[in-house]
Amino acid sequence: MRIFRTSTVYGLCVLLLVAGAALSAQTPDFDAMLAEIDQLGQFGDRDFSGVYTIVSQVPGQEDSVTQARLFRRDRTDEFVLIILQPQIQRGQGYLQSGDTVYFYDPESRRFERTTLRDSIQGTDAQNRDLVRGNLSENYRVVSWEQGRLGNFDTYILDLEATGTGVDYDRIRLWVRTDRPIVLREENYSATGRLLRTLLFPRYAQVGGQAVPTQILIVDGINEGERTQITLRDPSVASIPDGVFTRDYLERVSR
Amino acid sequence: MGTLLRTALRNLSRQKRRTILLSGAIAFGIMVVTIINGFAGSFLENVTENFGQLLAGHIFIEGVERIEPGNEIQIIRDDEALLAAIDRSGVQARYITRRSDVRGTLVFGGRTASQQIVGADWSVESALTERIILEQGSFDGVRAGNGLIVGRPTADLLRLEVGDPVLVRLRTITGQQNVGEFRIAGISFDPGFVAGLTAYADRAYINELLQIGVDEYRQLGILLSTLTEIDEAADRVFEEISRELAVFERGTEDPDSNPISALFEQARTEEWEGVRYRLYTLNEIVSDAQQIVVVLNQVSIVVLVVLLGITMIGITNTFRMVMFERIREIGTMRAVGMQKQQVLKLFLSEALMLAFIGVIAGLVLSAIVMAGLSQIYIGLDTPIFVLLNEGYFTFAVRPGQAVLHVTLVVMFTLTAAWFPARRASELPPVEALRSTN
Repeated sequence: MRIFRTSTVYGLCVLLLVAGAALSAQTPDFDAMLAEIDQLGQFGDRDFSGVYTIVSQVPGQEDSVTQARLFRRDRTDEFVLIILQPQIQRGQGYLQSGDTVYFYDPESRRFERTTLRDSIQGTDAQNRDLVRGNLSENYRVVSWEQGRLGNFDTYILDLEATGTGVDYDRIRLWVRTDRPIVLREENYSATGRLLRTLLFPRYAQVGGQAVPTQILIVDGINEGERTQITLRDPSVASIPDGVFTRDYLERVSR
Repeated sequence: MGTLLRTALRNLSRQKRRTILLSGAIAFGIMVVTIINGFAGSFLENVTENFGQLLAGHIFIEGVERIEPGNEIQIIRDDEALLAAIDRSGVQARYITRRSDVRGTLVFGGRTASQQIVGADWSVESALTERIILEQGSFDGVRAGNGLIVGRPTADLLRLEVGDPVLVRLRTITGQQNVGEFRIAGISFDPGFVAGLTAYADRAYINELLQIGVDEYRQLGILLSTLTEIDEAADRVFEEISRELAVFERGTEDPDSNPISALFEQARTEEWEGVRYRLYTLNEIVSDAQQIVVVLNQVSIVVLVVLLGITMIGITNTFRMVMFERIREIGTMRAVGMQKQQVLKLFLSEALMLAFIGVIAGLVLSAIVMAGLSQIYIGLDTPIFVLLNEGYFTFAVRPGQAVLHVTLVVMFTLTAAWFPARRASELPPVEALRSTN
């Protein structure tokens, strides 16, 4: 009886070990995956620039088109975004220096503090959509499943914020299983309501990094509202230091 | 002197119509400026009282928590020490309110409107239900969880009806995006001013959306019994709070800067950590309204000067006419021994009596008009409700201003009469008697 009990326990242990090993072999390292996603959108020692066109559609209204030139320097957490269109907002701009983001209005010639969370010119696009993300720092994966999106096998990850420094409490990501490329993102409110859906149908290789060249944002609250962001002229050419300054914003807005 | 005044009065009564016209012009001027004076006197008091009821307090206390430099949240988690400090200060509060408010965007049928949403404890804030005039719906809905009361302009903009579900985009206390699902419980009359941009909800639901505890809140309001106590009571409460809790200093060294802006600036610019409290008063909020009172005072003076300027021309011309009419009379008086100075005094006494009659008539008329206006119920459902007291105009004539106005009237009238009077007194008796007028 005692021998039987011992062998049963051993057997169960072996079974558990095998099952555990099999399970861990199938479960990807999501922390590493989030870090890879972040890494893929970061330019490290190189600078990045490009022209973004943001088309915002609101039912019953004419489409609004905003065009902006972005200069990014990820290694120092700096960016400058200068509005080129519409004419009435031309010269307005955003400047990130470390943790602080400023908005510059050439009409009042004043810099005002803003955040990465703020929308760009009242569209559904936010400053954070154009600069590098920090998923691995701010979120943890709480559940996952496998699914298919279009032609791609994907991991569907449910992310939960680890702190309060983010805009969305919960995020759901569709990540390609073969490469850490995000194809779809859903942002949820603190009460679990879908706020917006982002689709990333096109990426371009720029300096070895994957940059989305087209983003479609569907508003989850205002039915029918959608925003399309397209990127052209992406470049990793070096940008002069003087660009990431208040002086530059003031100068180019004249 | 008595004889002089009696003679002056008799002379004025000789030309009743002329006297009535001149003193009537003075009376009209005095009446207008006294009404403006009375309105300005009660203006600040009524504005302060009405805002006090809408904002649920005359003294406001807020807790500020620093999560990290540049990231502060406004919250009162435990008010035991604050309430003890208020108690120790000896300030008699009519009642104390605890409110949570949030800026949100109302979304309905593809349309949006930005609103300040005030979460109130409706079981305590009885004055708020008296102040908000509902065109549709009832307060029962807002007490029941997710009800929302919006102003008429917002309801029209979004095409809302009572019972409609409306989504509100807002942020939690730490800045995460959130969405509230409200139902329209009532549509209030648009009272204008800031109240038109405010919607009201239940504090418990707002707390849930802000993701703060059910007993936590963002602002403590102390409603006092009388407005005159505000500054003194605020000083006492502040002194007691600062004994045990960290506070932001009140007041500003720069007289041109807004005291509330300066108070808020401290949270951003100073080095600090933990929790600090700030206290400000309704007087500081409506400090700009005090400028309106100054303007009203200046306007009343300008109105009086303009009216008196016109009247002065009339008085000067009339007295010149009087002088020519009475030229032989002046000659006779001078011939029987009346001195130049006595002639001058007689004319000036007539002018003084004229001013006196005008001032008395003006004050009586203004009292009648103000009493009449203050009997008319204008109502609370009017854009000028903030200027009224319980729906009625009120007037508080400030004695200092009234004395200034009367002094101006007397000075102007005497100045107007001075030149014809002097000319009359300077007339040689022989020449005056020879006159054929």
